[in-house]
Amino acid sequence: MRGFLAVFKRELLSLFVTPTAWALIVVFLLVSGFHFYALVVHFATNADLSVDHGPVQAFFGESILFYLPLVLLCPGMTMRLFAEERRSGTIETLLTAPVSTSAVVLGKYAAALVTYVAMWAPTILYVVVLRRAGEVDWHVVGTSYLGVVLIGAGYLAIGTLMSAMTSSQLVAIVLSSLVILSLFVMGVGEFIFDEGLAHDLAAHVSVWSQMGELSKGIVDLRRVVFDLTLVVAPLFVTVRAVDAWRWG
Amino acid sequence: MIEVHELSKTYGGSQWAVRDVSFSVARGEVVGFLGPNGAGKSTTLRIVAGFLGATSGRVRVAGHDIVEQPMKARAAMGYMPEAVPLYPELRVEEYLRYRAELKGVARSARRSAVGRAMELARVADHASYPIGHLSKGYRQRVGLADALVASPPILILDEPTAGLDPNQIREVRDLVRELGRDHAVLLSTHILPEVEASCDRAVVIAKGRLVASGKLDELSRLRRARALRVVVDAPSLDAARALLAGLGDVGEVRREGDALTVTWKASVDDTAAAVEPLARALVAAGIGLREVSPVRASLEEVFVELTRGAAAGAPDAEATP
Repeated sequence: MRGFLAVFKRELLSLFVTPTAWALIVVFLLVSGFHFYALVVHFATNADLSVDHGPVQAFFGESILFYLPLVLLCPGMTMRLFAEERRSGTIETLLTAPVSTSAVVLGKYAAALVTYVAMWAPTILYVVVLRRAGEVDWHVVGTSYLGVVLIGAGYLAIGTLMSAMTSSQLVAIVLSSLVILSLFVMGVGEFIFDEGLAHDLAAHVSVWSQMGELSKGIVDLRRVVFDLTLVVAPLFVTVRAVDAWRWG
Repeated sequence: MIEVHELSKTYGGSQWAVRDVSFSVARGEVVGFLGPNGAGKSTTLRIVAGFLGATSGRVRVAGHDIVEQPMKARAAMGYMPEAVPLYPELRVEEYLRYRAELKGVARSARRSAVGRAMELARVADHASYPIGHLSKGYRQRVGLADALVASPPILILDEPTAGLDPNQIREVRDLVRELGRDHAVLLSTHILPEVEASCDRAVVIAKGRLVASGKLDELSRLRRARALRVVVDAPSLDAARALLAGLGDVGEVRREGDALTVTWKASVDDTAAAVEPLARALVAAGIGLREVSPVRASLEEVFVELTRGAAAGAPDAEATP
């Protein structure tokens, strides 16, 4: 894994000395801030007496305002990872350094993941705000954030792969948004198909019901395994794809 | 230090970018990799540096096969690609520190390694500039500093002087000469005087094939002047022309603007010796002689000669379409 740390640090530095990361984080915080505000107003004016349903559940996964940023911002974080190196040619100096391809891929991926976590970190303030007005179950908050990281990790891995497929950042962001969106829409199939294989399959990949469960504190190992598959498989293919350039 | 054995590369299809190229570079030697644009220089260097895979053939660097032991082989090389790709958002020092870490320079030695590389490549005065703000010449030198930062025994430089001004070119040549004493240096160029200025040996390729390889004197012999440019005062131009044409070995006298170009019937090894009788004849005839200078063979002419020689030496059905 020689070179992992160097690649990781360089990638983070580049993300934060250019406007990319800041722009994405600002957009995300605007959207999620509005989302939270709307929810708080809703719960303040409408008494909701159900035990397992409150602002936390609503915030994590009950509206499109939770998923839209995931689908659009994750590809934005990963689009430049490989596409930019290929466009500018720096991939040549990177791959002729004595570092393994997997170290390069993982270093870049880790940088994107850290940026993603940094993007979500300020939202903990919302929970702190809620805490002032009432009870907060920290276990549920914990599993909700676990879901956020697991799903994001998968989406970022897909984005990393798509970035390695092209030398155009635009193509990378469009491709990964498309794949992530298809995955999301497949999950929605759970509510469309009644019974049978299609329903089960859709339910298995459904991000919507995964977040629904996690925001109620239910951790299903099957879903965790699925999320991790979504991380490992694209990254593995990315390593292969990057190696394949040498022989192109 | 670098051994290339029957290297071939095709980008799919039947076009060979490089075909059966073999050569070697020893420590303490600067080898110029010479060829016209599109001859396969960059492709060959990329394969040697481990960026591209070869279709067939072997490359050993510092005793390590580039495919079987890529990490060890790459660690022994400092490679500067043709366009000198850099990250414009990083500062020079940041970039070099990153490269040093990437190349496995120990944390404690990193600062001094970066400092040394910046001194050698003369970028120390721009250490805290963002790379995107640097001129082409400085970017080129940052690339050079990058190649030097881990003190590798082998340097591979793809067109190291492209885009530099004459002063910078001289600096880079001096540096390459200096480094050549205890490194193995392979540098590519399409400029012949470049090789003459800084290399001990040259490897010439054209259309992906090796056409010549050897000490520089052999190459210089090909480049030796085979014509003279003679300038006389304008009124006696025609007289001079007739006089020169009448001289013993002179084959042809052409007029080009104000000057006359004299070529010989048979190829002369040394035009310098031919200058004397020519000048004496002109002066004796009372013609005002202003300038006599050798006309050196252009790179194209040398290539034509070399390529022709190679084709004659090894008959080849598919040489050129």
